[in-house]
Amino acid sequence: MDIDTTKCVGCGNCHVICTMGVISLDADGKSVVNQDECVECGTCYRVLRSEGYRAWFVRAVRKVLFLFKLGYLADADLCPTGALTPPDLTWPRILRAQFSNPTVVHPGTGVPGRGTDEIKSNEVTGRLRAGEAGLVIEIGRPGIGAFFRDVQTVAMALAPLEPVFEPENPVTLLFEDLKTGRMKEEILNEKVLSAIIELKIRLEKIPAFLRALEKVQHQIDTVISVGVASRCLPDGAIPHEEWVRKAGYPLSSNGKTNLGLGRPLFREDEP
Amino acid sequence: MTNTLHRQGARQDLTHDYIIFVHTANGKNREGSAEKIREFMRICEKYHPVNMGDVKQGSMHQDDIAFDGLLRTMGDGTVGAAVFTDLDTLRQVVEELIRADLGICINITGLLDEVRECCRKAGITRHSAEHSLGVWGAKDRLPEREILEFNTMCGHGMVSFNLIRKMIEQVRLRRMTSKQAARMLAKCCECGAFNPARAEALFEQVRERGFLYSERSC
Repeated sequence: MDIDTTKCVGCGNCHVICTMGVISLDADGKSVVNQDECVECGTCYRVLRSEGYRAWFVRAVRKVLFLFKLGYLADADLCPTGALTPPDLTWPRILRAQFSNPTVVHPGTGVPGRGTDEIKSNEVTGRLRAGEAGLVIEIGRPGIGAFFRDVQTVAMALAPLEPVFEPENPVTLLFEDLKTGRMKEEILNEKVLSAIIELKIRLEKIPAFLRALEKVQHQIDTVISVGVASRCLPDGAIPHEEWVRKAGYPLSSNGKTNLGLGRPLFREDEP
Repeated sequence: MTNTLHRQGARQDLTHDYIIFVHTANGKNREGSAEKIREFMRICEKYHPVNMGDVKQGSMHQDDIAFDGLLRTMGDGTVGAAVFTDLDTLRQVVEELIRADLGICINITGLLDEVRECCRKAGITRHSAEHSLGVWGAKDRLPEREILEFNTMCGHGMVSFNLIRKMIEQVRLRRMTSKQAARMLAKCCECGAFNPARAEALFEQVRERGFLYSERSC
């Protein structure tokens, strides 16, 4: 995101809204964005309504109020002068918006944001079949963000276990070598709100993958939200629960349920 | 994406937090799905959700979004979502969706055992399920548990830690009501998965007991 310094009055509202906390005041009292750390999520631009005032007018009003020892408490969702300016993004920086701004449809998946279909349409796609588990390893979430070099570190730790990287996942599309988990060199210093490594494995391999993740988690300076999914048994039981418990990890009490109402239903004998 | 998966909170809070959303698959049921997604939204709207939205258009808590306009502009393959705060209402919604037989994929995020029971009462068996295994890695970089409970209600990460802190401060100083602060947070969430009713209750809790001394853990 860019900030038009001819318009900015340094009110600080965008500092608070910024998902990465990377907007601050410069020596002239204008807000500036740390471009290395900005993930181009566009939240500041979408949430802060422009009041459309001229900068000189806002500054004059403030000076008058200051003279009388008065202040003006603006609503948190306003930019008085409309100073926020979305930039035209080019490769590789455009990846930041594709992974961080949920209103942007990712060109590789056709889905808004950094996600994929995963189990959400499993009854029609058969993405996860009986005996299989899906691992979703979201690096940078919650609220910290991640560089693709962090994503590569995790991917390289898991790749030797020979998972199936979900082909329609936006991260998979950025690998240079799926066997090693190495990513394209030019993207490694791009930062995103989060990026999801999505794997398909056999249920019995869950403990091995979680152990590998346990080892690599401290090699990166960000957080990882981990999820595991599978197709339910005919009685509705969840087969991955047993394997996660065997591996010694706690399961959340809440989670996602696909009701199976999509049509046409996928059949297990389909290729 | 997994935007509703990793919601954090105590079980008693999560009993008031159910998100039902629609999804379609390319080449399967995405093509021509716009009207079916609109019907899904109409059915949900009848039961008065606390939030609704479509990630491409925004949520009902944003200033320029009206329900009719939201429906009109929905296209094939968009991801519509609605948030409910009790299981009985959710069951009624599910039953009506089963009767409507829309053929689009319906998912619910919430307490898994409660959702399973809801499916059973509605006469269906769940197809697939997903658990969160929590947060790993550099957890020392995370803020207090209460802030994460607000933040994780928007899995896209649109509600910043700093904004949550500011809203807590505004509520504790009685410059804003819990309802106003919750709506402010809900405005940041594009897809409508944020639960402003739960946020309001959380603001009430932190106003009464404070939050600065809570554990930094997930």
